[in-house]
Amino acid sequence: MKPRVILSIAVVGLGLIIAAVPKNTTQPYKLTANQLLDEANSSYQFFSPDELADLLIKKDPSILLIDVRDPEEFATYNLPGSINIPFSDLLNSEWTGTLNQDVRINIFYSNGTLLANQAWMITRQLGYLNNYVLEGGLNYWVETIMNPDKPQSTSPNEELARYDFRKAAGAALGGGAAIAPVVEESSTPRPVIIRKPAKKKVSGGC
Amino acid sequence: MGPLFVNNIISENTNFLLAFFIGIGFGMVLESSGFSSSRKLAGIFYGYDTVVLKVFFTAALTAMLGLLFMSLFGWIDLSLVYVNPTYLTSAIIGGAVMGVGFIIGGFCPGTSFCGAAIGKIDAMVFVGGLFLGIILFSETYPLWEKIYLAGFKGSPKLSESLGLSDGLLALGVILMAVAMFYVAEWAERKFPREEY
Amino acid sequence: MEEKHKDRSRSYLNPYLGGVLLGLVLLAANFISGRGLGASGAVKSVIVAATQTIAPAHVEKNAYYHDYMQEHDKPLKSWLVFQMAGVLVGGFISGALWGRLKLKVEHSPKITSRKRLFLAAIGGILFGFGSQLGRGCTSGSALSGMAVLSLGGFITMAAIFGTAFAFAYFFRKNWI
Repeated sequence: MKPRVILSIAVVGLGLIIAAVPKNTTQPYKLTANQLLDEANSSYQFFSPDELADLLIKKDPSILLIDVRDPEEFATYNLPGSINIPFSDLLNSEWTGTLNQDVRINIFYSNGTLLANQAWMITRQLGYLNNYVLEGGLNYWVETIMNPDKPQSTSPNEELARYDFRKAAGAALGGGAAIAPVVEESSTPRPVIIRKPAKKKVSGGC
Repeated sequence: MGPLFVNNIISENTNFLLAFFIGIGFGMVLESSGFSSSRKLAGIFYGYDTVVLKVFFTAALTAMLGLLFMSLFGWIDLSLVYVNPTYLTSAIIGGAVMGVGFIIGGFCPGTSFCGAAIGKIDAMVFVGGLFLGIILFSETYPLWEKIYLAGFKGSPKLSESLGLSDGLLALGVILMAVAMFYVAEWAERKFPREEY
Repeated sequence: MEEKHKDRSRSYLNPYLGGVLLGLVLLAANFISGRGLGASGAVKSVIVAATQTIAPAHVEKNAYYHDYMQEHDKPLKSWLVFQMAGVLVGGFISGALWGRLKLKVEHSPKITSRKRLFLAAIGGILFGFGSQLGRGCTSGSALSGMAVLSLGGFITMAAIFGTAFAFAYFFRKNWI
């Protein structure tokens, strides 16, 4: 008789407490400040313009470019195939499905690196994976891909090859007028992108 | 922090070792609560012994409250805990088949292993039946595939389906369970228990 | 009679205490491994492993085994197999501590041992079959599912106990 009464009082009491606490406090941030600092330090989130140009030319279906600037700026100029998620609208639940997924690679870009990087940091703190940042933003993109500086003829071979690639890429992506064969593999070693593996999936069942 | 394994705090092999210890705890609690006796288990359906109901629901309440409070304190990330997917049709039909198996065989899989461990021959036969039943299902799987995959609802929580907060639903489940405990005690007084 | 009854029931844990302990075990499983307890899944692992050793071609051919192998490269190295090995050990330890280790067929005095064994086998087959169809048994789907408030867990729990209650009348002579 007695254990039942004790148990009843205990579980009903605890149940009342758990029913009374607000729900949002039961959902902590996914990353600690330390984890986020480590990731930001490692700069793994950056895609260089050359990498991005390469993916765009190959029409890689797994990337989605996301412009985090204002709609006006987006309307003036944007990268081919990109969508606009204004930074101020980032946490709108409408975009959750786009930002929190494990199918595509999202690449944020803005004029410089700053705004896109802030967007990355916010989504990363929410625990979202597969979001990246275009290094240097549109400014650097225009500088390197659309209007590459012609290296001097005495430059090392790899620099010449990179120039050829950029010129061809720029042309293919609607930049300058020159038409040149698309260089498939530039001899410049591309930085290796370290992708964070998705969290292990627990299998269950009985 | 938790779940430790999913957050890579412990390795896979440590996880398996701890699974073994968790199993020991599981087996000891089942056995010492009397779940190794089929007559005690079947008692719930005739009201003469309701130990199954009491243990089962007390355990569910304890774990449920434990998880909610640990999540509240930030000790465990509930989004990383496995939630069984819901396939409506197969859950109901499969559950019904299991229910018939329960009342005929007097065990469920976990308790039959427990009974077999202490030498109950009927439990060992039940375990043998389990093997046969699972082989039977696997071999005739094409026949059941449609039922097996029908009515998929994702992995929703009951609280989400009802539009309640987890805590509120938990309170509802607790109140229901406590009411059942009182009914169970009443039934045990009403239906005489034979000695076994 | 009354005295004997008291002695026997004292040798089992109070059900509410047992329930709290079981809940803590389940909580530990969720905290450590992010998953609940289970039983029938371990049997399935053993069956798949055995079939793979005896007739690997059959595993390839059978869609159900095949899907399982896609998810688990080593079926025996699964969480549930280790957990069930623990259950056997734990059950034995507890039985030894309380002096309940004894080879016997437990049955109602109204039926024979042979009938009880026959019924146990039928029940086992049905339970094994149902556990695969319903994706988990009492511990894996109903108990662990309820602890994480899974909709499927509540449905399976209701289906198991509801059906068992509904059929209890027809099988009453086997038990009381």
